[in-house]
Amino acid sequence: MDLALSEEQEMLWKSARDFLASKVPKTLVRQMEEDEKGYVPELWKEMADLGWIGLPFPEQLGGGGFKFLDLVILLEEMGRACLPGPFLSTVVLGGMPVVEFGTEEQKKAIIPKLCKGELIMTMALTEPSARYEAKAVQVEAKAEGDHYIINGTKLFVNDANVADKIIVVARTAKKQHPEEGITLFLVDRKAPGVKIHLLKTIAGDKQCEVTFEKVKVAKADILGKADHGWAIVKKVMEWAALAKSAEMQGGAQQVLEMTIQYGKDRVQFDRPIGSFQILQHYMADMSIDVDSARVSLHKAAWMLSEGIPCRKEVAVIKGWLDEAYRRVTAQSHQIHGAIGFTKDHDLELYFRRAKAAELYFGDADFQREIVAQELGM
Amino acid sequence: MDFRITPEEEAFRKEVKEFLDKELPKDWPGVDPDLYHEDAFDNIHEVSLAMQKKLAAKEWLGLTWPKKYGGHEQPLWKQIILEEEMTYRGSPGLDPYQFVGGMGDLLLDFGTEAQRMKYLPMMVRGEIKGATGMSEPNAGSDLANIQLKAELQGDYFILNGQKTWQSAAHKADLEPVYVRTDPNLLKHRGISIILVELKKTPGITMRPLEMMSGLKAFNEVFYDNVKVPKENLLGEINGGWKIVMAALSHERAYGVMLLINIRRDIDLLVEYCKETKDVDGVPLSKNKMIRNRLADVAIQQEIARNVGYKLNHLALTGGNVVSTANTVKILGGVTTQRVAQVGMQIMGMYGQLGPVGGNWRQTDPVKDKWTRLGGRMKHLYLSTVCNTIAAGTTEVARNAAAGALGCPREPKPAPKK
Repeated sequence: MDLALSEEQEMLWKSARDFLASKVPKTLVRQMEEDEKGYVPELWKEMADLGWIGLPFPEQLGGGGFKFLDLVILLEEMGRACLPGPFLSTVVLGGMPVVEFGTEEQKKAIIPKLCKGELIMTMALTEPSARYEAKAVQVEAKAEGDHYIINGTKLFVNDANVADKIIVVARTAKKQHPEEGITLFLVDRKAPGVKIHLLKTIAGDKQCEVTFEKVKVAKADILGKADHGWAIVKKVMEWAALAKSAEMQGGAQQVLEMTIQYGKDRVQFDRPIGSFQILQHYMADMSIDVDSARVSLHKAAWMLSEGIPCRKEVAVIKGWLDEAYRRVTAQSHQIHGAIGFTKDHDLELYFRRAKAAELYFGDADFQREIVAQELGM
Repeated sequence: MDFRITPEEEAFRKEVKEFLDKELPKDWPGVDPDLYHEDAFDNIHEVSLAMQKKLAAKEWLGLTWPKKYGGHEQPLWKQIILEEEMTYRGSPGLDPYQFVGGMGDLLLDFGTEAQRMKYLPMMVRGEIKGATGMSEPNAGSDLANIQLKAELQGDYFILNGQKTWQSAAHKADLEPVYVRTDPNLLKHRGISIILVELKKTPGITMRPLEMMSGLKAFNEVFYDNVKVPKENLLGEINGGWKIVMAALSHERAYGVMLLINIRRDIDLLVEYCKETKDVDGVPLSKNKMIRNRLADVAIQQEIARNVGYKLNHLALTGGNVVSTANTVKILGGVTTQRVAQVGMQIMGMYGQLGPVGGNWRQTDPVKDKWTRLGGRMKHLYLSTVCNTIAAGTTEVARNAAAGALGCPREPKPAPKK
């Protein structure tokens, strides 16, 4: 067993931290919360030039040929920096399923452009029922000749406002088992009948209502096999939960560090407040939450990278961080006092993101149900 | 990064498992790694002594120690695997007071050549049982407040005073006793360690203390003009605090053992929930709230267990284990208590029932007629209270964790002489 990062991973980690520290000040983060697009195109291009967007994709398609574990290291730093924009949507919800399940034509048409930062993607999965379950997929796609016609409403779709292509999860057949009869379509956001309505969210990230009104999609734009799309969604749900866990880990780490610093700097009763035992215990608990999660995060990411089944391990880390990240930010607020819940301070950015992240691709109850299944219950 | 287990490690793990299958009594229910079962029940104590002999015959005692002291000079990863497998099966025999961060390590680090030659081979042959003499009525979390007095008179130390909370002492042959050799020095400076052969030394009396679980495994130990040869001093006179720190840092495995042991209970609860039906005839395992609660503790166990792997990694690569061991110790304590709590919730009214010790394989068909899981959850509920207290309370551990984070020190009152 070797739990150390490789030299290459250390370099990726350090360069990511430096780059994001200089390019993503918190003023930009706040500005992007109010921005219609929610990202800076020039920065997006720079990230593409650094090879970040193509990081996990095969070299022959213009990617970096790295593994999911490397992506996780990068995502930890993005979470630490509160990087705004459609990175996770494009890479994990868009590019990864195309590479894994797409036809050669689809891969060639999409991935090289995506790696260059010229194509933004996302997946439209959830609907007004707000459930990550097969039976919640109600948006319909009906076959008509060489095409399908999509009708219905998707909700909580990340970054659809700026996506060029949306992978739409739709019901193509009513079968006995809800996991059957689901098909994935690659849909242009600008296709006639697609309407986007931007939602106002707790974390200021860009989630959308996407309505489809008689949207025509060619059969060639099916991703994977017709009626067998749910297997792909299940994979994407694992990837997305793990990728989000990495962001949460990085955010929690940053909250811990700024709290320890605040404990050293802030003086009350003629001494730094970090010398009071009760606050020391809060910080000790925070550090236990943060440090213990990292091993499990890296273990799950390593398993995924090695192609070892890790449904349980992903649920364990996401389920844990769903609670732990929130706990860490809440304890940090208690230590920061009033300044922490004003918009003059960074902490509130993390508190809001912790809640949004908890809900992303399955909250703690959702993950615990997976763990219960994996325990054989 | 590579979480894979090597074929060599896998092979050794298999060998240990097969050894345990063969040597443990049939249907062995498993005892907890804190020794309380084997101290409290004579029949379990006998199994422990027998297992110790069998481990010795297998050359698995003193696995990493030098050959000249009878050790086997094997790599540390083998010791770790041995500890883990024995813990998961709940097998006694690998006495932590000697072999898992206990006296063996202290003798190797601080003992004289004569002490090592005398005691280490006995341990390797599986001939003795150990204990440790730290706590006193007024030296609990404030361990440096040790008062048991040792005066050097000629060739002997004369010991007078009292120790308390001494698990296993009534069964032990040898223990390091933490004593005050100079009352005029600052309190951290006047402490020494003396090796005491408990059974062979006159003047020592013990009073058993019954724990709320019903187990009699604790002792008060009284020293009344006890003569110990001066060559039994471990390390330097008045230099004992350094050894206290070393002894605590050797507690690498304590939290990991708690976490591995509790895995057995989670597995037990999952099986119970699958086999037990509620009033509607539906298995408890299909109850949403129970699934949620059990998964919750299983997640915590796995997260903490993975930190245990990090700890092993640090130990094997020569990294500093102190801070991570501290984290695992805290996690071990709180996680075992949460499992016990969830276990009791699942058992409902039945959680109240069961014999002392909670032996789920050997219950009395008449007396324990209504007992479920042999009262294991009741026992766990009562016995895990100790897990956030023994070997340093989680509060003391959090103080240490905060220190490691670089928190400013708490202003201290002027030290007492």
